[in-house]
Amino acid sequence: MKIDNSLPLEYSTGQNQINILGFWIFIGAEIMLFGTLFAAYFTLVDRTGNGPTGADIFEIAPLLIETFVLLTSSFTIGLAIHAMRLGKQKAMMTFFGITLLLGLVFLSVEIFEFNHFYHVGAGLQTSAFTAILLTTLGTHGAHVTFGLFWGLSIVLQVRKRGLTPETANKSFIFSLYWHFLDVVWIFIFSFIYLKGLM
Amino acid sequence: MDYFDRFAVPHPSPAIYVSMVAIGLTVIAIIAGLTYFKKWGYLWREWLTTVDHKRIGIMYLISALLMLFRGGADAIMMRAQLAVPENTLLDAQHYNEIFTTHGIVMIIFMAMPFIMAFMNFVVPLQIGARDVAFPRLNALSFWLFFMGAMLLNISFVVGGSPDAGWTSYFPLAGNEFSESVGTNYYMLALQIAGLGTLMTGINFITTILKMRAPGMTLMKMPMFTWSALVTNAIIVFAFPVLTVALLMGTMDRLFATNFFTTANGGMDMLWANFFWVWGHPEVYILILPAFGIYSEIISTFSRRNLYGYKSMVGSMVIISLLSFLVWTHHFFTMGQGALTNSIFSITTMAIAVPTGVKIFNWLFTLWKGKIVITTPMLYSLLFIPIFTIGGVTGVMLGMSAADYQYHNTMFLVAHFHMVIIPGVVFAMLAALHYYWPKMFGFKLNEKIGKVGAWVISMSTLLAFMPMFFSGLDGQARRMYTYSESTGFGFLNMLSFIGAIGFAIGFCLIVYNIYYSTRYASRDISSDPWDARSLEWATHSPVPEYNFAITPQVNSAEAFWDAKKHGHELFTGEYEKIHMPNNSGVPFIMGCIFFAWGFSFIFGMWIPVIISTIGIFACMALRSFEKDHGRYISVNEIKKTETSRGA
Amino acid sequence: MSELFPRKQVMGFVFSLILTAVALLVYFLDMPFTTGMTVLLITAFIQAALQLVVFMHAGETGDRGSIYTNLYYAIFIALVTVFGTLLTMIWGYI
Repeated sequence: MKIDNSLPLEYSTGQNQINILGFWIFIGAEIMLFGTLFAAYFTLVDRTGNGPTGADIFEIAPLLIETFVLLTSSFTIGLAIHAMRLGKQKAMMTFFGITLLLGLVFLSVEIFEFNHFYHVGAGLQTSAFTAILLTTLGTHGAHVTFGLFWGLSIVLQVRKRGLTPETANKSFIFSLYWHFLDVVWIFIFSFIYLKGLM
Repeated sequence: MDYFDRFAVPHPSPAIYVSMVAIGLTVIAIIAGLTYFKKWGYLWREWLTTVDHKRIGIMYLISALLMLFRGGADAIMMRAQLAVPENTLLDAQHYNEIFTTHGIVMIIFMAMPFIMAFMNFVVPLQIGARDVAFPRLNALSFWLFFMGAMLLNISFVVGGSPDAGWTSYFPLAGNEFSESVGTNYYMLALQIAGLGTLMTGINFITTILKMRAPGMTLMKMPMFTWSALVTNAIIVFAFPVLTVALLMGTMDRLFATNFFTTANGGMDMLWANFFWVWGHPEVYILILPAFGIYSEIISTFSRRNLYGYKSMVGSMVIISLLSFLVWTHHFFTMGQGALTNSIFSITTMAIAVPTGVKIFNWLFTLWKGKIVITTPMLYSLLFIPIFTIGGVTGVMLGMSAADYQYHNTMFLVAHFHMVIIPGVVFAMLAALHYYWPKMFGFKLNEKIGKVGAWVISMSTLLAFMPMFFSGLDGQARRMYTYSESTGFGFLNMLSFIGAIGFAIGFCLIVYNIYYSTRYASRDISSDPWDARSLEWATHSPVPEYNFAITPQVNSAEAFWDAKKHGHELFTGEYEKIHMPNNSGVPFIMGCIFFAWGFSFIFGMWIPVIISTIGIFACMALRSFEKDHGRYISVNEIKKTETSRGA
Repeated sequence: MSELFPRKQVMGFVFSLILTAVALLVYFLDMPFTTGMTVLLITAFIQAALQLVVFMHAGETGDRGSIYTNLYYAIFIALVTVFGTLLTMIWGYI
């Protein structure tokens, strides 16, 4: 395997560059996935049947926590990649750990929020609106959950094998995934919550 | 016993019991045969665990041919039922099931793998690569497709076939009107196969963008590779829509949500909307690789370069964008206003322009060419006029005001068959004859091949031209019978005769494969057609590393230049070649996905949870595994090359 | 220590917090629907672009052409899907 030392570790082999481009294309598909969910949400948002509307059930406090936590985690994973490029494995692992912890906090708040939705009568089967709301949030939440396990497996690999072209590549791709989840959250925050609360 | 009642077929008939026995006997015969000839190890090592794009391509090809016969059998039954008025060969329920599976099988499990077969086999060779970007992902794509196909195919003997049409419009496809698990099969089988297709899309875009031979800029890629790039771009952006739609449909059926119901704010039309947001680009996913194949074949057998390379590329890129802008034309009659319909009418008619550009480019390629009529060329020449009939009737359907007359009649059925059969099926059969020597090292018999091409193309006209007229007379699609007073009998009998013709044509192709395998000469060159692109520059059949030395490219027809203008394709010494290792994980993961889908269909939640964990375990295994591939040594390369007569 | 906190990324983070705060104005202030939606559209798309360029390093390699083409294509088709669906399912009926 040819290693090009003039490039950052995560780009240093041909296969690494292929992996990163491949993941960008996957993100293109993810944009369409969430785009479709948003299309469905906007179509069904006023079709609440006998159930509550968004303004009835959305709460600002958990929303603010979720948004702040996810934005910060996107910042820390960026710092982790920066530390990785400096070759500082320990700092990188710290930032990685913080990111995953913040992800866990986000997920806990979201579970709390789902519980709240359920108790105020906005279950999955209540109306078309609640179904698409919970499906959209749930798809994002499932991505975060998957990301937590994925991130954990990368932390374990970096600890065991150190920073190699392979582990650096995996870490970088994970950071792309995590930033992307933040982008999706920004749209959820703006066009599901704030638009609903407005 | 109650537990097993759910697996019973809700509308049994003697034909289904016969099929059950036939399936059981076939499975026993395959297992016994493999055991008797001691082929289990061979099957596992060489095929089930392979990550080689050529072998995966061949497996796609075999699946596509099998599914062609399944879908073809459905078609014959439908045409037989409609051949005479008031026929009682099939009852209404059985007829519904058959037209539903015919559509799904032909589009998703026949046309798609047929295309994937040639994309897998040809694209890496055309760009001078060793394999695709992610070989193991490629194997996983195949196994997901295959397991999805198998899942759908067991539906009619376990629990009941889907019966709401291949479009499965809600509320018909909802629990209220489709009580059997049939539509669950539809949702889950398409979901699994669709995931595989999405992965293929990502894989091939990356391959084409990053793994081209030195010197091959984007505008020097062969036309089939271009069509594959554009097709995969459509796949990547269209299939997530299907994923979401199927997810919502599955939740409606299994978790009692209200996306597409008619109560609690549900909106049944949204399903039709999303289905076609995916469904229309899907049409172009099918047709663009076919256009690529025709471009290769027409240029090869006109003995000249393709006319209008840049306009070919440009028209495909425009088609790929426009294909996402026209979906509403599938339901002009659903109630949206004149403004919406007009917008989508205009985009629909606009898409005929780049398609027309391509037709003219092929005609100009033929013009002043030295045309050689071989089987693949014959299919291509027959394609142009028949496809044009299908295409212009599409423009008729695209006019929203006029569509109120044609909608859901046999006119529509005639239109899309006249587009898809010459467009996709002829192209794939042409490619089958064209690439057969590259795949297996011998040619299919030309005489039988040409008779087959004529029989199939004339059957297309005989089977589908009458439908234009019966459709305009008012025969609705998907009706299982009609009364004698309608006067549709004669036209439908003609269609039935055409369907028989199809059956004969496909039997000829099978016979040709048998005949040529036994008798055809193995002593052919690696370039039997005097072709123009890189895949013909290596041996037939292709060694596992594709090219001993990575080719150097300087034009869109590098191999032609090498033959005629003294361009040096292979310069330098042999070097050791890095290849990916085989892996059983994709196959095992496919099997787990099958179990996952099957338990999901029947709402058996404990197996669903276990298999979900199994899927993630496979992914974790892959993540922690250290797999750096292996090297083929220079000695081994020399040995292979000498034995192939280099 | 300071080398672990590059200026570009810190500024990006601060800016994204500011954008979030601006977006929150639509909740805390009373404004007409169109104004609110305009604010949300602007802040959301700037915020997304910020993440892509500052944090995801979309333009740092020779593949930037492919990456940006892919993203524009995806965003274009996603927007077509959203607005086309609204046109067909809701607005078209008025």
